[in-house]
Amino acid sequence: MALEVSGQIIAGKTGQILAREKAGGEIEIGDLLVAEEDGGYVILQAYELVYGSQVPQLVRELLAGMKLEGMGADLDFLEPQLRNYVIAQIKALLRVGKNNELKIPKTLPKFFSTIRHVAEKDLLFLTKPRSPVYLGKVRSGSKVLDVDVYVNGKDMLTHHVLIPATTGRGKSNLVKVMLWSVLAQDCLGILVLDPHDEYYGRHGKGLKDHSTAKQNLLYYSTNPVPGTNTLVINLRSILPSHFQGIVEFTDAQHDAISLYYNRFRDQWIENIVRGTDIGDAVAPRTLEVLKRKFDNVLGVYIDDSGDFQCRSGVFSDTAGLATTREITKALEDGKKVIIDTSRLLDEAELLIGSIISGGIFHRYQSYKSEGTLEEKPVVSVVIEEAPRVLGAEVLAARGDNIYSTIAREGRKFKVGLIAITQLVSLIPRTILANMNTKIILGNELVAERQAVMESAAQDLSSDDRTIASLDKGEAIVSSNFTRFAVPIQIPLFEKYVEENVQPKEKNKTVFVG
Amino acid sequence: MSAEISKRIAEFLDLKIEEDDVGQPYFGNPDYELLPFAPANFVPIKDVEPNIRTAFVDGGNQEILGAPNFSAQINRIYFNIFKGRDRILPKFLPRRIEFYSVTMSDFRNGEIFYDTRVFPLKFEFEGLVPDQLLSFSSLDRTVTLGNQRADIKHVASVPRRFAEWEFAKHVIENELEKGDMIVHDGSLQTSFTDEHTCLTRAFETTMEKRVIFAGISKTSTLFTTAGLSLLGAVQKLAEDYKVKSPWCLPIAKVANVKHNAFIYVVKLHESAKYVFRFEIYGEQARRMSEEDFCTVTSALASNSKDISFPGYPYGLIDADSFARVSGDEVDKYQVPLVSEISKLGKWKKVSRHICSGDAHSMLDVLKG
Amino acid sequence: MFKFAHFADCHIGANRGPVLEKLELAAFSKAMDVCMQEKVDFVLIAGDLFHANLPDMYVANEAVKKMREVRDAGIPIYVIYGSHDYSPNGTSIIDILDSTGLIKKIVKGEDVDGKLRLAVFTDLKTRAKLVGISGRKAGLERNYFEMLDREFLEKEEGFKIFAFHSAISELKPEFLAQMESIPMSLLPKGFDYYASGHVHRRTEAGFAGYERVVFPGVLFGGYSRDLEDSAKGEKRGFYLVSFDEKVEEVKFMEVSVCDFEYFEYDVSDKNSVQAKKDLLDKLREIEAENKIAVVKIKGELSGGKTSDISSSEIRDLLKENGALDVIINRYGLISRDYSSVRAMGEDVPAIENRLLRENIGAVKVSIEELKADKGAKLAQDLLKVLRQEQKLNETKKDYVERIQKHALNTLGLGDEG
Repeated sequence: MALEVSGQIIAGKTGQILAREKAGGEIEIGDLLVAEEDGGYVILQAYELVYGSQVPQLVRELLAGMKLEGMGADLDFLEPQLRNYVIAQIKALLRVGKNNELKIPKTLPKFFSTIRHVAEKDLLFLTKPRSPVYLGKVRSGSKVLDVDVYVNGKDMLTHHVLIPATTGRGKSNLVKVMLWSVLAQDCLGILVLDPHDEYYGRHGKGLKDHSTAKQNLLYYSTNPVPGTNTLVINLRSILPSHFQGIVEFTDAQHDAISLYYNRFRDQWIENIVRGTDIGDAVAPRTLEVLKRKFDNVLGVYIDDSGDFQCRSGVFSDTAGLATTREITKALEDGKKVIIDTSRLLDEAELLIGSIISGGIFHRYQSYKSEGTLEEKPVVSVVIEEAPRVLGAEVLAARGDNIYSTIAREGRKFKVGLIAITQLVSLIPRTILANMNTKIILGNELVAERQAVMESAAQDLSSDDRTIASLDKGEAIVSSNFTRFAVPIQIPLFEKYVEENVQPKEKNKTVFVG
Repeated sequence: MSAEISKRIAEFLDLKIEEDDVGQPYFGNPDYELLPFAPANFVPIKDVEPNIRTAFVDGGNQEILGAPNFSAQINRIYFNIFKGRDRILPKFLPRRIEFYSVTMSDFRNGEIFYDTRVFPLKFEFEGLVPDQLLSFSSLDRTVTLGNQRADIKHVASVPRRFAEWEFAKHVIENELEKGDMIVHDGSLQTSFTDEHTCLTRAFETTMEKRVIFAGISKTSTLFTTAGLSLLGAVQKLAEDYKVKSPWCLPIAKVANVKHNAFIYVVKLHESAKYVFRFEIYGEQARRMSEEDFCTVTSALASNSKDISFPGYPYGLIDADSFARVSGDEVDKYQVPLVSEISKLGKWKKVSRHICSGDAHSMLDVLKG
Repeated sequence: MFKFAHFADCHIGANRGPVLEKLELAAFSKAMDVCMQEKVDFVLIAGDLFHANLPDMYVANEAVKKMREVRDAGIPIYVIYGSHDYSPNGTSIIDILDSTGLIKKIVKGEDVDGKLRLAVFTDLKTRAKLVGISGRKAGLERNYFEMLDREFLEKEEGFKIFAFHSAISELKPEFLAQMESIPMSLLPKGFDYYASGHVHRRTEAGFAGYERVVFPGVLFGGYSRDLEDSAKGEKRGFYLVSFDEKVEEVKFMEVSVCDFEYFEYDVSDKNSVQAKKDLLDKLREIEAENKIAVVKIKGELSGGKTSDISSSEIRDLLKENGALDVIINRYGLISRDYSSVRAMGEDVPAIENRLLRENIGAVKVSIEELKADKGAKLAQDLLKVLRQEQKLNETKKDYVERIQKHALNTLGLGDEG
């Protein structure tokens, strides 16, 4: 059955083809359209819509005035569909040849060819790759096609992912859907720093509901749900390098830290917090400032009884010795680890992420030198409000941190970032250029859209309006690993989970002990 | 223009356009039987869905290459069919035909004659365009302006007129049924020598098929005995008599060789700014019942509700846009013709005659 | 004011040599004597009292005699299974002793609406409430914890003790990061004391909702690592807990039955001949008389074989110098010339674990339980079972049957409920 025509190409140039919409053709911004050619077809996308009319504008203004003022009640445009219409500005995205070979279009579609809305059969080349990460279904305008969009997880995560969006556009929902789709895959280890405690599913549906959650998901929180882990990290797991780029120290403080570390090794923080005297090398004032700083950042101090305390309960001098090792081991086993940082201050959250990411990064560096890196799963770190660690100002003021190091060099060692941000413009281009997959959600800020478009894997220069008009749950996947910038509809996580949850068997247990 | 002068002109116009007594229709030709203005003569047009189809025919032409001794023109004749607001697609005929017409000067019998030959653009247009050679003496009063020899350009536009009548005949034969109507853009009065013959053939067909042949003129140079424009005077009367629109006012009847019609003035919509001269072929109008007349005028009115031009049939708006040959299109036709002339090696000869004509275009170029 | 003693991981029967076996029993005996001296109101042993569910009869007998004394002194002994003395079908020595009334196993539970409801035992004298979950092999008790009806236990009033035999993720030492463990959140909140075992290193910790979680560590030591730690200064013993309505004091009671001498030697940059000579020279100088000598040899020999450094020579030398016994840890010793599989781990179980994990991928199986970590753990557990030796007075037929039964149970193919 021939698919219905929605318009006809009437003019334009490459990147700005003009097509007249057929009455009722209902071309939307972002719509994917197809122009057939000899044996193949071109996939196009509408990015701008303008009114066209055979009637001059001044006349139209007058006529509208007549109607508005109640004159000529029975007057209307005869054959309105012929005389007033919509012109769609479209661009060619992909050419599919006779033998389904895919190419970037370098010529215009045939002049005056008709166009139609894309159909599922036109997108058969979107196959499910290895280590698939599910993103959603193909979207044409606001219509959702039954074509799933997957990206190769190993490639995508190694080459970093940026998720730019303003509040309320569905960033967390997207990440949840992605994580759900890879939860059972042990070739991808993912660390999630969760500042809003929204991924596990403490109240409501979450990753915990996945059928393999028991084996593949770890959750750490200062207020753990039964069966999950308490987030507690021993001070001995913290090295001075973990603070790099996260907390600023003066030179004198740096020196003091070095001295304490050299003297007390892994008990350096405890001794600073206790104020252990190491002679004149460290000025008392410097020591006091350091104590206060550790109190601010880590929440650690000595109480009146001389006992070590932590305000957040996260850092301890007795417990949590195996935490970071357990987490890095889990990541190396391809598991997904969620760290609930909702009750932590920014710096503490980043520090914990720094400790774990640094740990895995250095381990992977050594695997590479040993020649065993290939056997290891890719590890990715999900970090929200990425400019806190990737922002140009932050990097200029504090220098590189583990996150920026991963952003720049992680690819070589199979360690990546999934950076979520509202303000892409704050991240330097050199880092943005390394983030080879951008899952672009709606953004009403012009400067942010500009920054995203400038660093995208495909030419999105004409997509400003398309991005501005993205509704909640709608996105564009611009990636080195997709043939074109794919518009998608991300499913609502709760619905997606419903379709994928397996009912748990309830057998009566015989207790032996 | 200074404000003072403008004021004086405005006062002069006001003084001279005296509407207290609009007078009576004046044709200046005894063949026209005039019907007096009277409020009772205004016939209301009913707003009903038509049950007849109406075809509209219009033509356009443009010179593509010209000199004092020849003129090559591109001509278009177009038609459409509506039933009220709804377009009806034609069954047999192409909606538009195009042909070149080349008019050449020829000296014979001691006089300059202008002879036109027609070249249809497509094979399928043959038989639909006039196939006889049209010929006019350069002193033929029907084509001259004053005492001057007729301009060949003006004569070259005549074939289009003939083609309109010819094509109308084909439309009636092939696309319309009894009771339907065909509306020509312009009056049913012929001007040129032998033009009436062509129209008569169309009239005969229309009588055979019992299709109403009508015409609507966008312009009119008719007057009243008070020196006022006829159309303006009728509008004033309608306002004075508070006649409810749409309406139709019979004006005159005529039945001579060149003009056989009943003439009316119509206002086809209450929001219409314009009124138009409307004619029905005399032989038909004479026999038409009140009901039939009502059907005809209602059909026209129901097609005149387009908001872009209330009161003017949409069919004619459409026909005009498709029949017209715009200046922008001239190149499209000119270039291949010039190219062929050049291929024959005759461009120098032809261009000599082009340059012997109007040098205005050169001045235009210099002006920039 | 009341008192109880909290022990764990006595691992009676773990040590084979006559000296260590004797010391092991001596440690147990001494600990029990302290309990009687302190007039504790009860003793709580949080698992692995014995090293096997059917230990050597001689050591079992000696231990039982001591426990009889304690019992006769009016001190109840409350026990849970550990991962070693556990039995899936109630045929552990623990059950036998429980049947005789010598000890009381405080683990009982049933499935109530899909949740595990544990029975609460009340000590008659102190009215202390005791609840326990036994340890199982490979951390399988985790399933029970996940099903636990915590709410029921949290509502229980009075002075409460929760006994269990599992590593706690938040509290295990770094070198045990890979050990199976349960997160703290699986324990019921609000108990006055959490008496644990299984991790051989002593730990006391407190968390919100879990005021006192205590691992006493081994009493003497069943693995070479335990003895190494002891030799490095780790104190061994048990805890004495004073309480009334709340815990008043938690005191560690050291139990020392011998001295240790620890010696570590790095062979790096030496060949086997040089290393051996140097090592033996140095060993001659250490004071190992009447001590357990623990020798750790590590590093990469630049030449020669690792077997050139003879353990028996080292042992003979030290024994000549009066050492009570000699423990040699040479798992970190490798040779550049003869490098075999490089196992990063310092004792047998860790090495076995790593080797199995590394190589399990090469085995093509379709059953999920046999793949990856699960499969490696199962293999390791099976090895443990198969390694068990024939007991004294056990016929060959009985031995074979016993091993087969345990092996099948380990594989989940036996009668294990």
